[in-house]
Amino acid sequence: MTHTTDRGTGVPITLTDLRKDFGASTGTAAVDGISLQVPPGAFLVLLGPSGCGKTTTLRMLAGLENPTGGEIRFGERAVARGDGTVNVESAGRGVGMVFQSYALWPHKTVQGNIEWPLTVAKWSRQERRRRVREVLGLLGIEELAGRYPGEISGGQQQRVAIARTIASQPEVLLFDEPLSNLDAKLRVDTRAELMRIHRATGATSVYVTHDQVEAMTMATHVALMKDGRIEQFGTPVELLAAPRTAFTATFIGAPPANILEAQVAGARLTVAGRDVGKAPAGLPAGTVHLMYRSSGPRLVAEPVERCVPAIFVDQVPMAERWVIGVEIAGGTRVSITQDVPTRHVPGDSVQVQLPPAPETCFDLDGERIPAPSQSAREFEQQQEPV
Amino acid sequence: MTATSAQRRPLAQGLARAGTLARRPVVLLAAGTLLVLVILVVAPLLGLVSTTLMAGNRDAWGDVFTSRMSANLLWRPLGNSLLMGAATAVLSTLIGGFLAWVVVMTRIPGRGFIAVLATIPFALPSFALALAWDSIFRNDLIGGSAGILGNLGLMVPDWIAWGPVPVALTLTAHYFSLSFMLIAAALAAVNGDLMEAAEMTGASRVAVARDIALPVVAPAVMSGALLAFAEGVSNFVSPALLGLPVRFHTLSTRLYGAISTGDVSRGYVLSLVLIVVAAMVMLTATRVTGGRRSFETITGKGGRRRSVPLGPWAWPIAGLAWAVVVATTIVPAVVLVASSLTRRTNDFASGLTLHYWIGGSDPAMAQGQRGILANPQILQATWNTVLLGVCVALGAGFLGLLISYVITRSRGPKPLLGAMSLISYVPFLIPGIAFGAAFIAQFGAPIGPLPSLYGTFAILVLAGIAATIPFAVRSSTAALSQVSRDVEESAVMAGAGLMLRLRSIIAPLAARGLLTGGVLVFVQMVRDLSLVVLLATPAMPVLAVLTYQYSSENFTQLANAVTVIIAVISVSATLLSRRAEGAAQPWNEKA
Repeated sequence: MTHTTDRGTGVPITLTDLRKDFGASTGTAAVDGISLQVPPGAFLVLLGPSGCGKTTTLRMLAGLENPTGGEIRFGERAVARGDGTVNVESAGRGVGMVFQSYALWPHKTVQGNIEWPLTVAKWSRQERRRRVREVLGLLGIEELAGRYPGEISGGQQQRVAIARTIASQPEVLLFDEPLSNLDAKLRVDTRAELMRIHRATGATSVYVTHDQVEAMTMATHVALMKDGRIEQFGTPVELLAAPRTAFTATFIGAPPANILEAQVAGARLTVAGRDVGKAPAGLPAGTVHLMYRSSGPRLVAEPVERCVPAIFVDQVPMAERWVIGVEIAGGTRVSITQDVPTRHVPGDSVQVQLPPAPETCFDLDGERIPAPSQSAREFEQQQEPV
Repeated sequence: MTATSAQRRPLAQGLARAGTLARRPVVLLAAGTLLVLVILVVAPLLGLVSTTLMAGNRDAWGDVFTSRMSANLLWRPLGNSLLMGAATAVLSTLIGGFLAWVVVMTRIPGRGFIAVLATIPFALPSFALALAWDSIFRNDLIGGSAGILGNLGLMVPDWIAWGPVPVALTLTAHYFSLSFMLIAAALAAVNGDLMEAAEMTGASRVAVARDIALPVVAPAVMSGALLAFAEGVSNFVSPALLGLPVRFHTLSTRLYGAISTGDVSRGYVLSLVLIVVAAMVMLTATRVTGGRRSFETITGKGGRRRSVPLGPWAWPIAGLAWAVVVATTIVPAVVLVASSLTRRTNDFASGLTLHYWIGGSDPAMAQGQRGILANPQILQATWNTVLLGVCVALGAGFLGLLISYVITRSRGPKPLLGAMSLISYVPFLIPGIAFGAAFIAQFGAPIGPLPSLYGTFAILVLAGIAATIPFAVRSSTAALSQVSRDVEESAVMAGAGLMLRLRSIIAPLAARGLLTGGVLVFVQMVRDLSLVVLLATPAMPVLAVLTYQYSSENFTQLANAVTVIIAVISVSATLLSRRAEGAAQPWNEKA
């Protein structure tokens, strides 16, 4: 065993039809058959709302839950199979995990917390000491070695948890919403820190969060999950630029894209009873969902063409622009970005002019129509991670 | 590819799955602890039932239920038991409720001290109060020496000295603590914001008390009453000391009498009757409290306290509250100590002596019995008692930790976990004396190659562990809940196996709670009489049983002196544990 921090120790991760059913009856699947593959050293973010199965997936990777179907492979090696024939224990998988609560052992010092797993793994005393010093240095917390977790701040506990996890040089690093207990500023700093650690270790990382900003910032690959399934898997840019479903479109981006219900009749589109332009080719008659990014619609003073009446709700400054929130008939919220704040007060009636054509259309199930064009595919391929 | 091979060999797959399951250490642990539970709890109860069904013993059922003896053997004692249960329940609720109200809702002087004193009687052995009563009120109805009042020349009527009244009162003096603790906790929760919120709506004070306070406190009142009822029904020592001399029998004294005089099968049948009666009451209590048990204490003092203005009633109420707590704690303690120092029983005019503590054998005093500190049998019994308490605390603590771990942490097979939590709760429903009978029924005779355990230290320890398992499981569960799942899982990720995790992570982190639970069990064993009264033998004496024997042989000073020793051991253990709790977790103190 060579103990170095050289990068390049990660393994590819392959999930095949991975399932987890809690309870005997089917229909209660927490993870409902997911498949994906990431290369060595990737930073995979499992993103989704609470209850989407992302944490369960992470726990199956960790060996804390056994899958009830499918397979998990680290490189060539199967570490868990749903048929029960393979279930490698956590310690035999070469994984390390940073828990949401940090899960430091309160009765051990910082030094003890980092060293104990190495003791369990039967490292020699000399090797342990050397490695503990090394990771304490890597995280910049040498001076905390003798303190107990109860005596250090939340951010410091976070660093100790990371140091403990990387000390045994796992090939796969798992993170369960590690930033959710930190305040906003510390979160941004720690995000950068985590990316540095990821680069330094070269381990393949899997990171669970419900915060799309974290996903967009850190990931090489994002798996957006919903109801136990993968809604879309790709690079952050792909998910943002070419959402395959309405759910993806509304989950990704700040502010997320606007999705409006519309009727298609006679090659024209109507939203809230107003004509909003020509229907793109290939749309079936009936109800569809239209996607407009927040840069598209604008507030206008008088009802002109492609205008929908709305109620002004709020405005938020963002990156030196303003995000105006309005509500159209049916309670649908529409976000509009513009350079200057508006003078309206909440409750004012306003007019929203939509751009000549929607960016994308989805059917009522949230699937993109028509199917992704050739140009979109080419775009996606250009963005493949190296 | 995996899928097709799995479809081809479903049997192999099933075997593989079962194999992985059975090899999980936690499943082995669950099965092992369940086996121990079955041996300790289920087997004795089955032994009790099956013994009464053996040829030659079956008549016992008829004797008990339908013969001419039935009235004396079963029905009248059953009636007395129920009467004592009801009286204890009503009086305990009244006194406990009154004190709880005083402590939580008023500002009378010395409330804090009343609160402390009111919890003490429950921590004392229940025979302490019966002996103290006996020392004060005993009259010459059954011969022997009179009590303190009698020696002062006062005539004590028989109904105060003996029978249902003193039994009910001494039981109440012991168990009102329970009602006090439950009701005070509930009142403390209702006090403050909740009441203020109600008064803000403009409701009258009566309406607030009726619609807000009472419903919140009612479950605590009910459960306190039911627990006091169950204890009153099954208590052995009070009716034995204060009732037997006038043939006032309860089920407990009847079954003790039957078994100790060799009439074993009838005694077993009576045990079963007692178990059924007590279990029904306890089950009701558990349902009323929604699973909360009797040993909850007041914790935290949430919110700001408000007080009811008492006006001119303040002093009478304060006086009454003080009288109650002093009469049930300080007075008995003083009486026990003082009477153990009197030369002639309970007669201060006869002069004081330390003979009963340290004297040698003197034929003129107590038929030549030595003072207890000079008596090798007492020293042996003290050693036995402490060792018994320690062994049971360790055994029940260890088993309790494993059981609560398996129940709360493992995701083992559901039926296994269900069986474990049910069986580990059963001893809570069984009166100590009936449990003792069950242990004799099961382990009193050789089983195959194993010798009879009757009269050994082992049977005392096993019975003690079995009887205290519900408390140990309960306190371990509370202690384990202090250790978050993540903290354990991070040890799993580090590759630590089940035993290493229990030793290096769980036990140190739960130490404080485990220690408190252990001391609870220790104190319970040291002061317990009803469980061990049938199991201890002259060759294997324990203090509580010696007290009972001294008392029934009229060696009052000796009985009282031994009781004082038991109280000292219990109280010092409790105090020591409070200090040790701080020392057990140094990493918490530095903060």
